[in-house]
Amino acid sequence: MKRNIKKLIFRWEFALALILLLEIIVFGRLNPRFLKPRVLFGSINDFVSICIISLFVTFVLITGGMDIQAGSIVGLTSISIGVLWNDFGVNIWVACILGLLIGALSGAFSGFLIAFTDVQPMVVTLGGSFLYSGLAMVVSNLSEVEAYKGISGFPQAFLAITKGRINGIIPFQFLMFVALSFLAYFLLHRTKYGRKIFLCGVNRKAAEYCGIHTRKVVMSTYMLSGMSAALAGIILTSYLGTAKTDLGKELTMPIITAVVLGGTSNLGGKGTILGTALASLVIGILRFGLSMSGVNTQYLDIPVGALLIVSVAIRSVSSNDRLVSFIKHRFKRSYQKT
Amino acid sequence: MNVANNGKQSKLKRTLNKLLHARELTSIIFLVLMFAVVGIINSNFLSVSNLTLSLNSSVVYTIVAIGIALVIITGEIDVSVGATLGMAASISATMVRDGSPTWLAFSAAILVGALIGLINGIGVSILKVPSIIMTLGVNSIVRGLIYVYTDGKWVENLPFDFKTISQSKLPGTGITLIYFSVIVIAIIVHLFLNRTQRGKYFAAVGDNEGGATLLGIPVNATRLSAYVICGVFSAIGGVLYASRVGFVTPISGNGYEMKVIAACVLGGVSMAGGVGTVIGASIGSLIMASISRVLVFIGLSSDYDNTITGCLLIIIVVFDAVMQRRNAVTARHERLRARTGNVNLGGIK
Repeated sequence: MKRNIKKLIFRWEFALALILLLEIIVFGRLNPRFLKPRVLFGSINDFVSICIISLFVTFVLITGGMDIQAGSIVGLTSISIGVLWNDFGVNIWVACILGLLIGALSGAFSGFLIAFTDVQPMVVTLGGSFLYSGLAMVVSNLSEVEAYKGISGFPQAFLAITKGRINGIIPFQFLMFVALSFLAYFLLHRTKYGRKIFLCGVNRKAAEYCGIHTRKVVMSTYMLSGMSAALAGIILTSYLGTAKTDLGKELTMPIITAVVLGGTSNLGGKGTILGTALASLVIGILRFGLSMSGVNTQYLDIPVGALLIVSVAIRSVSSNDRLVSFIKHRFKRSYQKT
Repeated sequence: MNVANNGKQSKLKRTLNKLLHARELTSIIFLVLMFAVVGIINSNFLSVSNLTLSLNSSVVYTIVAIGIALVIITGEIDVSVGATLGMAASISATMVRDGSPTWLAFSAAILVGALIGLINGIGVSILKVPSIIMTLGVNSIVRGLIYVYTDGKWVENLPFDFKTISQSKLPGTGITLIYFSVIVIAIIVHLFLNRTQRGKYFAAVGDNEGGATLLGIPVNATRLSAYVICGVFSAIGGVLYASRVGFVTPISGNGYEMKVIAACVLGGVSMAGGVGTVIGASIGSLIMASISRVLVFIGLSSDYDNTITGCLLIIIVVFDAVMQRRNAVTARHERLRARTGNVNLGGIK
């Protein structure tokens, strides 16, 4: 049984890798410029925030939770850094650390409510998404700069963290993503803490009886996703050179798409970092490749949505235990007869 | 509250308990409190014209919230209502602009809404795709299709007749005819859910899917119909939106799904399914629609809109959860006490 599940998971990530490869080949055929390493690797600049956040939202979903507030934390962090630097004269690096702290606090607040009051995670994070995007507006009002303009004019050193490329090809963001993937992989699949997260998702009561502080574990996952959102906010601010309140507004749906496409069950207890990382790349490359092949940017939601539904539908039909066991049963019987 | 003055402790307690149990009542009290507090700060807020304006401006939220409440009561979620609303608004607006009669545009929009709902329903109930994923996917597909359909352009210059539909008032009052009809729809749906056998299936499916299956309730068909009804109501909301606003952009209805879900939660509809009423959802929509008006009257900038909404949502939900847990604990203690009492008596038996 365990081997079967393991096999299935393996197959899914294999399928994702195949899809990614297929995408690269197809788009390379359509537009040879796409295959230039500089362009291909550079594309990650457009969707690195989705990649980073979805890695840690995976943790939340594995505990059986849901996080739709990460996008608004991105905006809150971004504008906080801007205001701290521009209007309060805080050093930019200190501002970044404070930004990370704000992200962690925001995540911890929602996580606290979810873990300690047993309100559905979706509802709390829905409230959180309103609250933090609202707070971002409040923070932006502290500044002299008009909110819609955004705060710009950051020091060169801060802007440089997202502009650098190794050998002029691989951007720093890609390295950050890889490093964070390893970190998340290590945390989730190689530590005791990761096992606790899985156990919380599989059976929270059993985990509680095993002596695990499930509340703390659940809360910590929201903190992690809040911090990753803050990090994405910092990267986006640096990359765009502007701190704005609505930076992460459109991120919520792609993040959930990436996590779920990566094979994480929204019921909890199942999921891998490798799957999420691959899935976020699949989505990002799909959008990038299509727009490079001349598809209108506004149409890009259609294939992404279709990809999500079709892949999950296929998976849910094929992993239907009753159906699979029925087929197996039939097969076994006919095998025994012959 | 008259009962409270009688002084009987048990009766007071029971009434209070009842009050806390009726989930819509919490939101009604909240709504009244909010209006009262704002009325004290700025008495203009309680003028009849402002109150009717508040009611009228909540009409789109209300109709969509009724639809989504049905889905949430069956224990699922639909985040594609915003896109459905935008699609229906675009379709009806372009048709009316190009000279079709209003009824034709209206039916076309409803048809599209039903179709989107059907797709959602098939995905969730037959293909067993988790509902948030299914509707999320459909949301982005429909959003993209809106751009394809409208070519990314605004739909403007709607005929005057179409725009007046949302403005015509009920004779003798300031309430618009459409708000009145939406309230009638809410009452009909409420009666359907609570007084008919088929209607009770919805709560049964949301409360306990396995139990409902064992009782012979058509679980899949119920979920499917909830999605179709939700799609239809979102489409009606879209037409009303187009008529009220007078133009439609490709991003019309963006973010409505979150606001409407918030309205349902404010109105006491539980996201776990099985609990809640459409009347509650309508009250929640009224609260949601009033918040931005309230801010204006208090003299705060509308920038605080989201902050207040978020705080309200979290406070109400957490308060509700804490109260429920306390009630559960007291109930358990009472049961335990009753049982141990029985054991003592049971010795004689």
